[in-house]
Amino acid sequence: MTQYTICVFTENSIGLLNKITVIFTRRRINIESLTVSETVRKGVSRFTIVIKHEKREEVEKLVRQIRKIVEVLAVFGYLNDEIVYNEIALFKISTPIGGKALDIDTINRIYKAWVVYWGLDYVTIQKTGTEEEIFDFFRYLKPHGIIEFVRSGRVAIGKTPQGLVEYLPEDQEWEYYL
Amino acid sequence: MSKEIAFMEEDIKIEEVKFLSGGQALMECFVAEGVDTIFGYPGGAIMPIYDALYDYTDRINHILVRHEQGASHAAEGYARSSGRVGVCMATSGPGATNLVTGIADAIIDCTPMVAITGQVASNLLGTDAFQETDVIGITTPICKWNYQVTDPDEIPLILAKAFFIARAGKPGPVLIDITKDAQIKSMTKPFEYKPIEGLPGYHPRRVPKMDQVEKAAELINKAKRPYILFGHGVLISEAMEEFRAFVEKTDIPCASTLLGLSGISIDHPNYMGWLGMHGMYAPNVMTDQCDILIAIGMRFDDRVTGDASLFAKQARIIHIEIDPAEVEKIKKTEAPVIGDIKEVLNLLTPLVKKGDYTGWKNEFRKLEPREKEAVTDRDLKFEGQIKMAEVVKMVSDKTKGEACVVVDVGQHQMVTARYFEFKRPNSYIASGGLGTMGFAIPAALGAKMGAPDRDVIAFIGDGCFQMTIQELGTIAQSKLPVKLIILNNNYLGMVRQWQQLFFDKRYSFVELQNPDFIMISKGFGLEGEKITERDQLSEAIDKMLAHDGGYVLEVVVEKEENVFPMVPAGRSVSEIRLT
Repeated sequence: MTQYTICVFTENSIGLLNKITVIFTRRRINIESLTVSETVRKGVSRFTIVIKHEKREEVEKLVRQIRKIVEVLAVFGYLNDEIVYNEIALFKISTPIGGKALDIDTINRIYKAWVVYWGLDYVTIQKTGTEEEIFDFFRYLKPHGIIEFVRSGRVAIGKTPQGLVEYLPEDQEWEYYL
Repeated sequence: MSKEIAFMEEDIKIEEVKFLSGGQALMECFVAEGVDTIFGYPGGAIMPIYDALYDYTDRINHILVRHEQGASHAAEGYARSSGRVGVCMATSGPGATNLVTGIADAIIDCTPMVAITGQVASNLLGTDAFQETDVIGITTPICKWNYQVTDPDEIPLILAKAFFIARAGKPGPVLIDITKDAQIKSMTKPFEYKPIEGLPGYHPRRVPKMDQVEKAAELINKAKRPYILFGHGVLISEAMEEFRAFVEKTDIPCASTLLGLSGISIDHPNYMGWLGMHGMYAPNVMTDQCDILIAIGMRFDDRVTGDASLFAKQARIIHIEIDPAEVEKIKKTEAPVIGDIKEVLNLLTPLVKKGDYTGWKNEFRKLEPREKEAVTDRDLKFEGQIKMAEVVKMVSDKTKGEACVVVDVGQHQMVTARYFEFKRPNSYIASGGLGTMGFAIPAALGAKMGAPDRDVIAFIGDGCFQMTIQELGTIAQSKLPVKLIILNNNYLGMVRQWQQLFFDKRYSFVELQNPDFIMISKGFGLEGEKITERDQLSEAIDKMLAHDGGYVLEVVVEKEENVFPMVPAGRSVSEIRLT
């Protein structure tokens, strides 16, 4: 199974997430992670969808089907080595009196993670990185007692010199994809 | 209250009535789009639209169907016979869900349709209100586009988008769900309708890239055994003339898919017939012999290819298609040409040379006697019980192949494709992709509305007939001179055939206790006749054709007739069976 990252640029409208996900559902492709936010262009959303698949050509077909959605402006599919990507994770760690002390120096310098909130008997630590880096850090923190852990979907940016927004159609200037 | 204030209030009122209600705005959109016919059924959540329609009956002909499924199939029939967008309307909840089968049928057969559904008022959305259904959610996977309107000001733009999307590129169904408050409320600005010609995310390419056309031409000009397969796209693009010119200039043999039927006249010397699971012998097996396969406006459906990995695997493929997602969906393609078929052929035809394919075409013709002997002669033996083929052939002869034929789904659909000799385009209206039983009665009445000058004749199985039998009422009420022929074998014939061939004759739930179809038809106000004997057939058909209103002719045909040739599902076309 190879991991693919699909970036979808869309008009920002109600029901669009459903229009995109039904294309995956129908082909029995599971979405591993999903991140959506507005781009620098107002009214344009960017979906970053991570999937695993055995066949590249099936992923290419999937991309072409997503492109057919009327509100979709552009779609790009990537392998992991074609992008820079990261996730963000938050850890709630219990710090009871007399408990094992957290080594903040290691957390900051080795794991590049930061305490972002101090509670009475817990702290919240934020860590950005790839899935592997986050799980490395998870294993490091585990002996301290992780009360809660949450990980975001992937955000990714292509390694090409251009920005993807450049590929979006301008008003009244249409681009073709094939 | 002083006189002056009262006067001002009068003024304000006059100002307000200048703007249209949502329902009226919708009607104005229809008028601006040139919509002359709507198939629909009223109900609670769409009443304001029907109220507005009451004032537009001089410009818009509304056909009251008996079930919303009938409305969506009738809109398909209208679109397929006229080439224009079919429009249907239904209320919220059950009205909308009843449209679903027709919408799914339209997306898979690329039929332009705009469906309007009423919806509960916007303040009730998500409250499980009476007759509330998430129609947008239900239809998202089967619509080319859908949208929920909650503000009457949106209506002109949304309807312009709807008609553009339904029609453009590869046509398909669009559903617009309008909340009841948006139908009632007045717009806050004057109505203005501007047709749309492109959208930021959807602007299908009509004119192809020249390098793609040149590459295709180069392959065609080098071919020794080229073979054209054409589909529904030729008809959708209205490229029949251009296609004929292309075929004649190159002299390449061509064959049609089921929905491509009538794209070229059946007597054209280069036309070899149609292919697919129950298609003709030579067009099927010759896909294994060609060196260049030119696929025009078709999508390599599994009913065409059988086992797609073995289909034409020796051939280099040129695929002319408007939808980029269809390229390489099924078959690896050496030369895709993306564009509207008419535009592509206009550029391609001047670049191609005439080849000497006499020997190659003869290879097709040499195979024909095998099929004639094994299948056609048996189907047209005129012995024993009447066979479906005889009925179709006789209607074809008596109408000189000029009629617009609508079929339902099953054996009769395949027999009609085999034996009707199509002379005019848009003459075979069938549910090809979805295979919707019950399609024919409503599609036939829609087709008649779309092509009032043509004879519309439907061939329908006894099972299919009962799925939308209620639309006989629509035909009677709207006084549509549609001719319906029931080919009654008292079985779900195609399923029975499969059970015979692949399930050891275990006839599981395929025999029907049928009603008296003619008595039912007469009950609805339609004339009709049932015949069982061969010597009654000719006269009965003449009587049907001469009748000036809707008519039902029931022909009792052989019970256990099988349709051949047949490529067993999922097998290679080389395994085609003639018996």
